[in-house]
Amino acid sequence: MTESTDFNLSHFIESHQDKLLESWMKGLLPEWRRKHPQSVDEDTLRRQSRQLLDGLAKLLAGQLTESWEPPLDHSITLLLRNLSSARVKQGYRAADIAHYLVTLKRVLIHALLQENLTGDLSRFGDLLATVEIATDSLTTLIYEIYAETRERIIAQQSLSLLELSTPVVRLWDRVVMVPLVGVIDTARARQVTERLLESIAKFEATVAIIDVTGVPILDTSVAGHLMKTIAAAQMLGARVVMTGISPDGAQTLVKLGVNFSEIPTRATLRAGVAEALLLVGKRILSIKEEQ
Amino acid sequence: MNAPVEEVVYIVPILDSTDVLKARQSARELAARLKLGSADQTRLATAVSELTRNVLQYAGQGQCKIIDASSDTQTRITVVVEDHGPGIPDIELAMRDGYSTSGGLGAGLPGVQRLMDEFHLISQSGHTCLTITMSRPRLAL
Ligand SMILES: Nc1ncnc2c1ncn2[C@@H]1O[C@H](COP(=O)(O)OP(=O)(O)OP(=O)(O)O)[C@@H](O)[C@H]1O
Ligand SMILES: [Mg+2]
Repeated sequence: MTESTDFNLSHFIESHQDKLLESWMKGLLPEWRRKHPQSVDEDTLRRQSRQLLDGLAKLLAGQLTESWEPPLDHSITLLLRNLSSARVKQGYRAADIAHYLVTLKRVLIHALLQENLTGDLSRFGDLLATVEIATDSLTTLIYEIYAETRERIIAQQSLSLLELSTPVVRLWDRVVMVPLVGVIDTARARQVTERLLESIAKFEATVAIIDVTGVPILDTSVAGHLMKTIAAAQMLGARVVMTGISPDGAQTLVKLGVNFSEIPTRATLRAGVAEALLLVGKRILSIKEEQ
Repeated sequence: MNAPVEEVVYIVPILDSTDVLKARQSARELAARLKLGSADQTRLATAVSELTRNVLQYAGQGQCKIIDASSDTQTRITVVVEDHGPGIPDIELAMRDGYSTSGGLGAGLPGVQRLMDEFHLISQSGHTCLTITMSRPRLAL
């Protein structure tokens, strides 16, 4: 029987590394394989987990107080960051990732129990507490990294959605059109304005049609954004025609006291196109009329 | 004739801009379910959009309650939008067309009052509550 007073947790993890790693992988792999059959790369996982055990042993050589948190530039932090962000991209859920460290904690506690360290119960309690502090704070950390990576991915996705959703169409010589679809918030409005200005410059457009058929609600905030976009287009010398304001929307805007009176507006895109062509001295004729 | 029973149909916490969409869609949905016309649906949804957006912009977060208070003779929707933000120091000023502390159009609050049949605003530091109601006579079947 080992005297727990002499027991060194750090040495214990180092000297039992192979065994601990085996139990850890045995506890973890079946579940990960079941949930993510395509993406479990066992070699990499083993290598990373071994490094983590190394790091943990070093960590536990020092004193851990209850408020301990892994420092940002600690090798363990970097390791977990790698591990976690790679798995997020493979579609692992938060619970799967937490499971990684929860399994480690179980394995460590189980191994300690088998050491029969019953000589000094309070010292044994301290050991368990240390394992707990270390693994719990690593779990918190990996969870934070997971959430952070997720948020970044989502932000990137919405950014690319943003880019997809603002085509500026060249309708005719010197006539461009931007069909607005969906929610117009500040970021979106800024981007619409940029795209529109670019196209006006590129195509030397003198008329820009802004079609709001696809905008679900025209409230003061949307109206405010539109006015800024219109003002910017006018500064480049383009005339703006607004189309697609529904009768309900028009009534509501009037009640709100929002006034687009200086901008020609047309109920339908079709009427707006006719108006825009007129402004550049063109019109659509049926073939018969032409002959 | 039944006494009007108020039923809270939706409670939407307002935490980010997706909740503004949720709140106004819920309002529109209830208006449609109670057979209000599309212009009224749009009015109500727009009013809810204004108030919940103000909550996000000026108070950070809050809540939107959508209530069916219809009776036999009336279709009546009440919306209560509440927050625990800084409050509106000068209500009279805030209700003026064109007054905005954020460079907006300043048309939100006065516009909502014009869109709705009833409009109550109380505000002090730490609590702002807007209660708006749209009511239409119910056509006899
Ligand atoms: N919930 C709120 N808490 C604190 N202040 C508010 C709140 N709602 C409105 N205000 C104040 O009242 C002013 C007027 O609001 P209003 O909605 O009429 O215009 P706005 O939000 O500035 O512009 P917009 O026309 O885009 O709505 C705001 O600028 C703000 O200072
Ligand atoms: Mg407002």
